[in-house]
Amino acid sequence: MTTTDSSRVGKRRPALRAGARWPGRRSGASVARPGFAWAAPATLFFTLFAVLPLIMVAVLSFAEWDGVDALSFTGVDNWKTLVHDHVMLQSIWLTLLTTVLGVVVQTPLSILLGVWAAGKQRNRAVLSAIYFVPLLLSATAISILWRALLDPNFGVPSQARWLFGDGNLFGHQSTAIGVLIFVGAWQYTPFHTLIYQGATRAIPQVLYQAAAIDGAGRIRQFWSITLPQLRTTMVTSMILMVVGGMTVFDTVLILTQGGPGTDTTTTPYYSYVKGFKDFQFGYASAIALILVVIATIISLVIVKFSGYDKMRSSSEGL
Amino acid sequence: MKKRWLPRAVAGSVVLALGLTLAACGGGSSSSSGSGSFTVLVYGDASNKVEKQIIDTFNKTSKVKAKLQTIPGADYQTKLQTLINTKQAPDVFFNWGGGSIAPFVKAGLLLPLDDMIAKDPGLKSNFLPSVFNGAVVDGKSYGIPMRGTQPVMLFNNKKVLADNGLTAPKTWDDLLNAVKVLKAKHVTPIALGGGDQWPTLMWYEYMYDRIAGPGLFEKAMGGDKSAWDSADSRAALAKLKELIDAGAFGTNYDSVKYTDGGSVALVAQSKAAFELMGSWYYSQQQQDNPDFAKSGLGYSSFPTVDGGKGDPTDIVGNTNNYYSVLKKTKYADAIAQFLKLQYSDEFVKAHMAIGNLPTTTNTVNFLDTAAIPDYAKFQYDLVKSAPSFQLSWDQAYPQSASNAMHTAVQQFFDGKIDADGFIKAMQALPTS
Repeated sequence: MTTTDSSRVGKRRPALRAGARWPGRRSGASVARPGFAWAAPATLFFTLFAVLPLIMVAVLSFAEWDGVDALSFTGVDNWKTLVHDHVMLQSIWLTLLTTVLGVVVQTPLSILLGVWAAGKQRNRAVLSAIYFVPLLLSATAISILWRALLDPNFGVPSQARWLFGDGNLFGHQSTAIGVLIFVGAWQYTPFHTLIYQGATRAIPQVLYQAAAIDGAGRIRQFWSITLPQLRTTMVTSMILMVVGGMTVFDTVLILTQGGPGTDTTTTPYYSYVKGFKDFQFGYASAIALILVVIATIISLVIVKFSGYDKMRSSSEGL
Repeated sequence: MKKRWLPRAVAGSVVLALGLTLAACGGGSSSSSGSGSFTVLVYGDASNKVEKQIIDTFNKTSKVKAKLQTIPGADYQTKLQTLINTKQAPDVFFNWGGGSIAPFVKAGLLLPLDDMIAKDPGLKSNFLPSVFNGAVVDGKSYGIPMRGTQPVMLFNNKKVLADNGLTAPKTWDDLLNAVKVLKAKHVTPIALGGGDQWPTLMWYEYMYDRIAGPGLFEKAMGGDKSAWDSADSRAALAKLKELIDAGAFGTNYDSVKYTDGGSVALVAQSKAAFELMGSWYYSQQQQDNPDFAKSGLGYSSFPTVDGGKGDPTDIVGNTNNYYSVLKKTKYADAIAQFLKLQYSDEFVKAHMAIGNLPTTTNTVNFLDTAAIPDYAKFQYDLVKSAPSFQLSWDQAYPQSASNAMHTAVQQFFDGKIDADGFIKAMQALPTS
C-alpha cells in the first residue's frame, strides 16, 4: 500500500510537495525525496535493536554459554548437533504447519468480517468496536484466560462433554495444535479485520455503481470487485500473518509448553527452551538464526510470487 | 534549510532518548545497591508471607533494610540464571542447594559463608546437619536453610475415602484396589498436574526408590548410565505402567496443572481422591480451600511395594531451601544478622503455622504449636526416621537436564515412548 501511495503522490503533486517542504532546494532531481537525515532515527533504532542483536546471535551460535560462566567458542559444534536434532526438524515442520493453518483460518474470516465491518451502518460500527477488544489484550493475558477456560474439569469442556470428550485438549498433538490455532485466530483476526475494513472502504464507489448498472448482485460484486481490489491488502496481511505466525511464542509457552512431550514445540519455543531452560544460549542462538533465515526466505518468496515488489496502483485510471 | 533541520533533529533525538530510557526501565529498575538496602529474591508461593514477616522483623531493628522480591514459581530458575551475573542480581537468593547452586559457585559468584559461621557458630549449629550439608559445595558452606523440609507424601480426601470404604493405602496392592473401587464410582483416583510435568516425575522418584532402592539413582547420577537399563529400572517402569493402565490418573491429566490450582481443586472438591505432592501441599490447600485443609485433607507416606529393595520408610522430595549470598554484596554484615533470623523462634513458629516444617534444632520444641500438630509430628517423624531422603531428580541433575527429563517423563506416561525409549532418554541426560 505504501509503495502505491507514494508513487501516486510523487506523480501527481511533485511541485507542490517540493515547494512546501523543501524551500531551500532547487535541484529538480531530488525534490521528491526526503533527505537521508529523516531515516536516521529509524536506522539507528533498527541497528541498535535488530541488526546488532542479530550479529550477536550469529556470533553466539558458534559458542557455548550458560549465562553465568565465561563464554567459550566451540566452532561449528552447535550447528553439527543441530543437523541431527530431530526435535529441531520436527519444530520447523510444526512452525510451518501452524503458520499455514493460521493463514488459512484467519484470512477468510478477516476478509468477511472486514468487508462486513466496512459498511457505515451504526450496528456494524458498534459490533466491530467489540470485535477489536482482543486486539487490546496482551497475548499473555489471552493465553492464561483460554488455558483456564479450557480446563478439562472446571472449564468449558467439563460442560460440553459431547463435544470435548474427556477434555484432554492439551494431551494430544492434534487438539493441542487446534487450541493454538484457535487462540491465535481469536487474538489476531481483529487486527486483520481492521486492515481489510480500511482497504474495503478505500475501494472507489464508482466501481460498485458501474457494476450495479450492469446488473451485478452483491455476491457478484464481492467476487468481481471487492476481492480483486483487496489483492494488495491480502499480500500485506498474509506477510504479517506468516512472519507473526512463525515467531509465535507466548501462546505456546503458556498454553501447551511445547507439549505433550515435544508435540507442539515450535522453533521459537524450542529456541527458548534451549536458551532459558537448558541454558545453552549458543545452541539456542543457532536455532533462532535458522528461524530468521527461513522466515526471510518465505517472506521473499511471497513478495516475489505475489508480484508485490512491482505492483502498480490498482486505482490507476480512476 | 539548516535552521529548519535543527529543531527536527533535536525532536528526533529527544524521541530516541525517551525510547532508550523507557527500554532501560523495562530492563528492571530495581537497583540492589540503593541507599542502605539489600534485595532478597524468593520463589513466589504461599510461603512468602513468612519471608515477608521475617523481613519486617529484621527491618524494625536494622539500619540496612531488606527488600523482598518474589518470582512466580515456574519461572524462578530461569529468571535467576539470567539475572545472577548482572547488575540487577539480588544480594540474597532462594535456592535448592546442591546442584542448583553448583554452577554459580563454579563461576565464583557466591560468598562462602564460613567466615560468617566462624563469627557466629549458631548459623550452623542451629540446623540439622544433614540438611545444612545440602548447600555445602566443595567443602564450603554456601547456604543457610530458610524454609521447611519438603518430603513428598500421598495426600488424600478423607471424605472420598470414607464414602467408598477405603483407607489411606499402606501397600501397592491397597493403592491398586483403591484405584479400582474409585474408578467404578467415576471418581478420578489420583489427581495429577501432568501439564506441569514435575508432579509426574514424583511418581518415578518413589517407584524407583521402592523397587530399586536409592542406590540406582545415585549410580546413574555418578555417571554409570547402565543403571537405567538394569532389571530394577525396568521393573519400576513396569509397575508404573500397571498403575497408569489401571486408569489411576484418569485420561486428561496432561491438560491439568498443579501450578494453576487445577489438580488442587480436584482433590478439594472431591472429584479426585489422592494427590502425590510435596509437604507444601498443605499450605497450598490452606490458601485455596481453608475449610478443606482444616478438616478434609488426609495424608500418608508412599505405599510399600512387595519385593522392592528400597526401605519402605525412604522418602523423596526437597531437603530444604536455602538462602545464598552473592559475593559482590556490600552488606555482608547486615546479611549475617538477617540470616540469624532463619533459626529464630519467630521463624519456626511462623512456618509451623502454615504447615511447613523447619529444619532447625529448636523445631522439635514447637511441634505442638503447629497449625495441625499431628501433621507436623507426622512429617517430623517421617524425615527423622528416613534412611534415605532422595533429592528431587530435577534438582539433583544439572538444570540443563531438567527439560529433557520432564519431556521423557511425560511421554512415558502418555505411552508415546516405551520403557526402552525412557531408558534411552535418561541415559542421554548430562550428569555434570
